[in-house]
Parts: sequence; structure tokens; C-alpha cells
Amino acid sequence: MSERRTIEIATLARVEGEGALHLTVEGDRVIDLRLEIYEPPRFFEAFLRGRAASELADLVARICGICPVAYQMSTLHAVESIFQITLHPSVRALRRLYYCGEWIESHLLHMYFLAAPDYLGLDDGIAVARSHPGEVERGLRLRKLGNRIISLLGGRPVNPVGACIGGFSRTPTRAELGELAEQIVRARGEAEAALRFFASLPVPSRPQAIELVSLRHPSEYPMNEGRIVSSTGLDIEAAEFATAFSEHQVPHSTALHCRRMDGGRYLVGPLARLLQNSDRLSPAALAARESVAARLSSPDPYASVFARAIEVIYAFDEALRVIRAFEPPPAPAAEFTPRAGVGHGATEAPRGLLYVRVETDDRGYVSAIRIVPPTAQNQDCIEADLRELAPGVLALPHEEARRACEMAIRNYDPCISCSTHFLTLEIERRSPA
Amino acid sequence: MRIKVIGLGSPNGDDAIGLEVARELSRETLPGGAAAVVCDRPGVDLLDELEGIDAAVLVDALRSGASPGSVRVLSPAQLARGPALSSHALGVVDALALAAALGRRRPALRIVAVELEAERGEGLSVAGLAAVPEACRRVRTLLAELSGQADFETD
Repeated sequence: MSERRTIEIATLARVEGEGALHLTVEGDRVIDLRLEIYEPPRFFEAFLRGRAASELADLVARICGICPVAYQMSTLHAVESIFQITLHPSVRALRRLYYCGEWIESHLLHMYFLAAPDYLGLDDGIAVARSHPGEVERGLRLRKLGNRIISLLGGRPVNPVGACIGGFSRTPTRAELGELAEQIVRARGEAEAALRFFASLPVPSRPQAIELVSLRHPSEYPMNEGRIVSSTGLDIEAAEFATAFSEHQVPHSTALHCRRMDGGRYLVGPLARLLQNSDRLSPAALAARESVAARLSSPDPYASVFARAIEVIYAFDEALRVIRAFEPPPAPAAEFTPRAGVGHGATEAPRGLLYVRVETDDRGYVSAIRIVPPTAQNQDCIEADLRELAPGVLALPHEEARRACEMAIRNYDPCISCSTHFLTLEIERRSPA
Repeated sequence: MRIKVIGLGSPNGDDAIGLEVARELSRETLPGGAAAVVCDRPGVDLLDELEGIDAAVLVDALRSGASPGSVRVLSPAQLARGPALSSHALGVVDALALAAALGRRRPALRIVAVELEAERGEGLSVAGLAAVPEACRRVRTLLAELSGQADFETD
């Protein structure tokens, strides 16, 4: 007779926000699995209605302390398409630099403080700092450069305020950019060392058949622009998002689940982005990718940490490229006239595709806004991943089972505060009646 | 002697007390030539703020069950570490533990903690606002002590 067992993780550790996992199994059969996002809903989409579009960038930056730039970028691109604004090429390049800063900061925080303890069998980043101080110092040094980029363009590292409709409220000086470039050049080699460190760790492997979704740009590694493409052939404009994806409410989560129209799950994030855009990497990032090519031959959520490390290398290269090619724009931001209309923005947040739809009235006030964060899109993948993992870990003692589940969840670097936060594990093992 | 006042917190309700105290103190000349810095949710960046100085007074909101607005001076050893580290919630204690784990030299620290009333909302509560002058006074006293100028404005 098979036993029914429930694993409850009442508060997931080392994820961004507050959530829980409830898992009930009978024998090796998963009876119930719920990734519970119990963070209270935040009603951003409701209270942004009636606001001037010009206020949006500062307001949406408050959605997330880790990826404010992403919310600003998707929202601004949506608004700029309504107001028919074409960004000056230099401003457009600065937006890429701004995004590089966020990828660097977010990825390194995840790699060293959230993920590394998993591979080292330690409880937290502080224990990693104790056992591998040199590595953690490296992570902190690299991350600080991400902060510098965001502070330079956003005015401050937390909830930056510098981005606005048409560009930025201020253009950095050549001297400021030059100083930043020097710091990047000095630290640049350490980004490769970071990948080598993670590649040396016992990172598990469990490839899965998942549809990968990311942006794809004709010539660049995608950040602010591109078509939404998938590994199964989807190829659409951001404006067509609603024709391919739909959001659903589920009783156990305050975050909406996002699925393909046919109900299928899909993966967004660094792994999806990298696997679909490797040919757009910088030469050094591509060489770095080659060094871990065996881990990237098929979609494996555990390999996400390598994708992040490779994207950090890319982000440093791209930041340097932008700075070196920089010509000051005639104005920090393009002039604009508010208009009524509907605009769509899809950009690549550190955690993946972030879609925003904005509707304005003729005064340029927001009449509707829809924000689809990456974590909401990955929830189904996380649940499916756990459903597959669960039977294999149930024989383990509770603490080890909890660790294995949390580790699988952390591969997605879920940002629960964004998608509404994260994890408390509940495993219920029941004997069949 | 390089000395700093670091106001910690966020703009939410009384969590902004530390930020408000640092803002207030940044307008005056402080004992020991201390600089007052406003640090909105620094997370791991608190480590950088603590680099290259000999002493610091941290000002932060506290939830301990004491009466709202009461001001206390704590030593780092009196702070308890909460549960596992998450990057959204890397608090002062975690940051100090991280600095220690990395073997960084830690400046002499005092913490001025103000019991909060409102955890959310815009602006300080009445109790929070009323506690700012007292918190500023305690910081000045500590700065004077830390910078070895105990006779300089101690009340």
C-alpha cells in the first residue's frame, strides 16, 4: 500500500518575495501540487489608471526593487509607440546600457546569494561568503558596476528615476561614461572567472521539453526591442502578445498564470533568451558559452545559472561597446505630444520577457494598463517541473526533499514581489483510502 | 577618525525614520566631522558604506513591542538575525554578518533604533515624527563619544 505524503514549504527561502509550495503525493503519484503566491495583490494595473503617462516610469519602477529598469523600459516603449516617438540613436544606446546595469546587478545577486548556496550545500549567501570569500567578493565587485550604471542613468540605484518618455531626464557626460568604462575594463575579466566558478560546482541536470519564449532582434542580443519568438516557431510583434498568450487566475495564487493560447506552458528568462539568441552574443560571451556548451545542448532549467553568467559577460561587453561608441544626443529626451492610443512594450527583464500594454486618452492619461511579468509566465513551468521532480525526491528526508524542491524553483529565479512574492514547502504523503 | 551616520529604511511609513534622521543631520555640522548619509534599502551595498571608516552610527526603525516612537541605542551584538537571506530582505543584520563572513574590518558601530508605529503608508506617524529630534540627539551624543569628543554637545 502506498503512503500519501504532504510536503509543505510554508515560506520559500532565497527567492524574491513570499510564497509557499504545497505538494501531496500518494506513492510516487503527485495528487496535488500548488505553488502558492500569497503575497497580497498590489493593484498596480488598477491604480495606474487615470495617471498621466509621464508619471508611469517612476511609478512602475516601484513594482520591483531588483528589476525596476525592466518595468520602466517595457512601459516607456509602450507609451512611446502611442506618442509616436522615435528615440535618438544615442538615447536608444543609453537605454541598452541601462538594461546592462540591471542584468549585471540582478544576475549576480541571484548567482552568488540565491543559487550558490544550493550547489555548495550551504544555508545562505553568508555561509558561502565564509567558505568562498574571494568568490563572493568577486560577485560583489561585479555587481557594484551594475549599480553604478543604474545610478548614472537612473539617478540612484534603488527605484531609479532617470528614465522618462523619449529618453532620460539627463544625459551622462563623457567623463562619467569614461570613468565607468575604466572600471568595467578593470573588472571585465572577473566576469569570466565567475562563470568558471559556477561551472566548477556540482550543478544538477534535468533537461525538459519546454517551449522557449524570448525576444529576437535582427542584429542584437535582445533587450529593448525585437519580435517575440519561440522554439516552436512563434514569431510575432509585441502588439500581438494577446493573440498568442493568455492570463488565467488560479485559486492558490495572487499572481495570474500565463499560458499559450493552446494551454501550453512556456519558459521565459535567461536560458530561453540565450538558447534562442546565442548567435547575437559578443565574441567573448560566445566563447564563454562554448566552455559550457554541453550544459546548454537542450533546455535544462538547472543550466539557467550558466545562462546568467554568460549574460553577465555579454552585458559588460555591451556596456563597453555602447560607452565607446557614444555620441551625446542633442537632448536627453525627445519632445512629445500626448495622444490617445494603444501601445505595446516587450523587453527582456533579467527574469525574462516583460510585456506591457498601455492605453491612453487624448490628454495622454492612462485609461488601461496591463503588465505581464516574467514570473507570472513561468509559474506553470515551475509547477510542471516540480510535478516531474516530486516522485524522485519523496524518498528523501523532509529537509532534503524541501531543498530539492526549492532548488528547482530557484532555477527560475522567481520574483514573486513582481508577479504580485515567494516559498513556504508542504509535502502531504497520504495513504490511499 | 572617519565617522558616518547612516540612516537606513524605506519610504514606507515609519520605516523612513532612519532616512529622515539622516536627512535632518545632514544639514548640520556633526561631531567628529561625521557625514550623514541617507541609505534607502541598501541591502548588500551597506558593505560599501561601511568601507574605509572607523566608526558609524546606524539609524533604523525597530519593531520590538516597545511604545511607538521610543528611541534606543543598541550594539550590533543585540541584533538577532532573522531567517534565511533573501535579496529583497537583506537587512542590516545580514549585511553585517556578510561583512564579518568576508573577513572585512568592521568599523565601531552603534545603532539608534526607533520603535515604529506605522509600517506602511506615506510619511511618518505622529509618534515617528515626534521621535526624530530625540533620535538626532542620541546620534549626536554617540558621534561625540565615538569621535572621542565626549564634551562636545552631549545632551
